[in-house]
Amino acid sequence: MSQLTFQEAVIQGISEEMERDERIFHLGQDIGPIYNGAMHSAKGLGVKFGPRRIIQTPISESAMVGAGIGAALAGRRPIVQLMFAEFLGLGLTPLACDAAAMWYKSDGKVAVPLVIRVLYGAGPHRGHSEDYQAWVASVPGIKVAMPSCPRDAKGLMKAALRDNNPVVFFEHMALYHGARQDVPEGDYVVPLGAAEVKSEGSDVTIVATALMAQQALKAAEQLRGDGISAEVVDPRSIVPMDVETVRRSVAKTRRLVVVSESWKTGDPLSDLTASIAEDLAGDAPLKIARVGLQNTPRPFAMPLVRAAMPNIQTITEAVRRITESR
Amino acid sequence: MTPDANLLTSLYHLVAKGRVLESLLGKLPGFHPGVGEEGVVVGAFFGLKDSDYIAPHYRGALLAAHMRGADLRRLIAGVLGKVTSYSRGRVRGDICLPLQFNTLGMFSGVLGNPLNISTGIALAASLDGKQGVVVTSFGEGTSNLGAFHESLNLASCLSLPIVYVCQNNGYAMSTRTDYALKCASVADRAQGYGMPGIRVEGNDVVAMHQAVQSAVARARAGEGPTLIDAVTYRISGHYSADPNDYQPKDERALWLKKDPLLLLKARLTAQGVMTDAQLTEIEKAAEAEISEAIAQAQADPDPGLEVLGADDLYSPVLERVA
Repeated sequence: MSQLTFQEAVIQGISEEMERDERIFHLGQDIGPIYNGAMHSAKGLGVKFGPRRIIQTPISESAMVGAGIGAALAGRRPIVQLMFAEFLGLGLTPLACDAAAMWYKSDGKVAVPLVIRVLYGAGPHRGHSEDYQAWVASVPGIKVAMPSCPRDAKGLMKAALRDNNPVVFFEHMALYHGARQDVPEGDYVVPLGAAEVKSEGSDVTIVATALMAQQALKAAEQLRGDGISAEVVDPRSIVPMDVETVRRSVAKTRRLVVVSESWKTGDPLSDLTASIAEDLAGDAPLKIARVGLQNTPRPFAMPLVRAAMPNIQTITEAVRRITESR
Repeated sequence: MTPDANLLTSLYHLVAKGRVLESLLGKLPGFHPGVGEEGVVVGAFFGLKDSDYIAPHYRGALLAAHMRGADLRRLIAGVLGKVTSYSRGRVRGDICLPLQFNTLGMFSGVLGNPLNISTGIALAASLDGKQGVVVTSFGEGTSNLGAFHESLNLASCLSLPIVYVCQNNGYAMSTRTDYALKCASVADRAQGYGMPGIRVEGNDVVAMHQAVQSAVARARAGEGPTLIDAVTYRISGHYSADPNDYQPKDERALWLKKDPLLLLKARLTAQGVMTDAQLTEIEKAAEAEISEAIAQAQADPDPGLEVLGADDLYSPVLERVA
């Protein structure tokens, strides 16, 4: 066990997996030992594994994703770092149209073990915050991980690298060089598709990932002071979504607040909300609230960002709104 | 280099078969036949090792897959969406090919993706260090896509063992090459990526084969990628129902004289390799084989609804890592 930041935990996960499986290699821009990746997202890997496994590319996201897919088809297990999720669109046709369902389309003959890494999220980096998670989450066959803490970041990265399908791995910039956490060394794997109840409660269920999961935990603490017991569920991966864990929680609380840093429109958590409503709304009264980014481009100036983004206050307000008649 | 009789005979068998295949499949609805372009397909993909990979252009894809060992009846069943196809009817078999023959098809209708993906297969071949190569083909229309430029540049930067063959048939649907490309040859584009660019008469299957084999030897030796502009002509319409009435009559007449099958037959008889009667016999055998495969595929059953397989989306997670 050692105290690691999110970024250090991701690197530890990659490094351990690269040591145990020589089929894994890493493609990306500026990921070599000169620059070590945007925001140190590949720190130390270039020195440790050398240029045959840490391969620098020109600015060519479409070719990088395609190259990752092709190498995966030919028996490798590539990682492609696209730097920022804002650039996902550049690699989307090979990923979403071709790679996503090769296993299904080929009737189980062709697997694509590929991890796409992207940085995103409102935070210290002014810009590149868009996540466009809905683009990848809406296509059948792509798994999507969105860890909220260093432990999950390492465990999910190891799961992604052992998975036999394309996985898009989101790394939040506000968490990246943030709080340290005890992270188990060695074989610590967090399965994709397994939510975790981060904080137990009985009055309301708050579902959130990444930075929003951290905000939700702080909101839950505030609410506890007001006598409201909130249960915080972190899906950890958007695809596959662990609907069952959320359903179990909401069946108990009968109140659901979903919090997303993304737009409400097309938000994968809105699909989750619909599934929960479909399953539980008939049984007894069910209250639902969604907290998300307003449906505009993300603003730039800090006061506008603060006003537009979900935060502890908007989360607690949403909770209060649906717990008033408790 | 003068090709020997065996090579010429092998090439003829394939071009003749390709002609029958493209002509007969062109009668099925929605097919994109490659009549007149068989010389490029056969020349590009003949003479590779089983361990090499190919990623053929969709026009001529079935001929290419068959050359790699895929079964004709099952390939044609893929065009028809029959349960006997390689995907049991899950994917359109006119463009998506069975990868078990080291043959990459299109897993979507998006042009350019196979260029990117085959470049990645070449990256794996390079990392494996076993002198494997990839030969991929695509239309001249696709050479205007970003995927083409990104792939070639990346392959050149990493010195990958891949041969890019442009099956330049003069038309992207109805858009003429001289409208959409402002360089004299697709091969000129190679200069921008620091790789050799070679223009070849694609209808001369022997010249085509030799050009690709030289590039393959270069790739195998670790000297990097090559771009080949294989100039041919689309005798078929863009797809089955395209009347193709936008091709100027005189242009078409000129190219019909340069038909790859006619050119090869003339060569075989002139060199005394085969008589007209022998050539006709081979054509008839090809026609019988392919007609039979089509008839069988047509009689094959449609997939049952169990093929929908809602739970088959993901490849199982590996239990153990190698």
